[in-house]
Amino acid sequence: MSGERPGDKGDRPGGGPPEASGWSVFSYMIGGMVLYGAIGWLIGRWTHIPLLFPIGMLTGLGLAIALIIYRFTRS
Amino acid sequence: MTPLAAHCAPTSAHLYSGCGYPAPSVGDFFFRPIATIGGISIDKPLLLAVISGAIVLGFFWLAFRKPKIVPRGMQNVGEYGVLFVRDQIIRPMLGKAGDKYLPFLVSLFFFIWVMNLFGIIPLIEFPATSKYAYPAGLALMVWITFLTIGIKSQGLLGYLKSICVPSGAPWWILWLLVPIEFFSNVFVRPFTLSIRLMANMLAGHLLLLVFGLASWYLFTLSFAPLLFSATSFVVTVIMTALEVLIQFLQAFIFTTLTAFYIADAQAAH
Repeated sequence: MSGERPGDKGDRPGGGPPEASGWSVFSYMIGGMVLYGAIGWLIGRWTHIPLLFPIGMLTGLGLAIALIIYRFTRS
Repeated sequence: MTPLAAHCAPTSAHLYSGCGYPAPSVGDFFFRPIATIGGISIDKPLLLAVISGAIVLGFFWLAFRKPKIVPRGMQNVGEYGVLFVRDQIIRPMLGKAGDKYLPFLVSLFFFIWVMNLFGIIPLIEFPATSKYAYPAGLALMVWITFLTIGIKSQGLLGYLKSICVPSGAPWWILWLLVPIEFFSNVFVRPFTLSIRLMANMLAGHLLLLVFGLASWYLFTLSFAPLLFSATSFVVTVIMTALEVLIQFLQAFIFTTLTAFYIADAQAAH
């Protein structure tokens, strides 16, 4: 956090403080798990396959990790 | 607190008195209303929040009532506080253009900090921010602020694109990632912002209660309990020092992340 760095204002690597990036990662993981977990749970309720709930959560987690990798290493 | 035997007051609960340890619990975070004004029952946290607001308002009003070129006394302290928020939070995040958010962020930082500080002030000893309603209200305010700024500075469609489409992802996986990006940017952010503050203050208050009550409970005139009591007291003091740090840090992180969300809403990806 040393002074003004023009063009470094998003949560791209090097932009923003480290804690902001950390919390972005955390909220992606929570978001992915909650969102795809909910979708899995709903479909599971509809089709009477309860296993779809954990599958949805794991899918969400995997996608969230993919998103974090794209977002923070390749942009 | 866990219920004690009928003849026991919490203050008379000691080891060997047969009263049991009045373990701190979630019940310690609920208070009887002090008064009811116009259908709103005033309890201790609400009173503390109002007092915190009054303290911050009063302090800055007194400090900058008659500003002088060469600041003295309270004005000096006030300027130091404002400059701290400007140089440590706003400038690294938003640059010089972010100075227009200075009043909002300064009030946010000092309001939260004073509310947190009440957790260790003797006789008050309760951080209002450990009740979820207070951080949640502040986070709601921040949420509305950064959404409004985003829509204003990028337009509705432009802002939607910037919070939905993650940069750097290839097209074939994009449709799976867009919901996560949107969900975490719009809905998870205010929750993590408020829960982080609430959980830290709640945990800190519980820790102080556990060790504070233990040093009182174990205070008995025999060697081993007295030793434990003394140890517990020392831990209480150390924990209080740690709390001072955490209270400041949580106010700082809350404000820093608010500035970061504002910066994120302004910048097009």
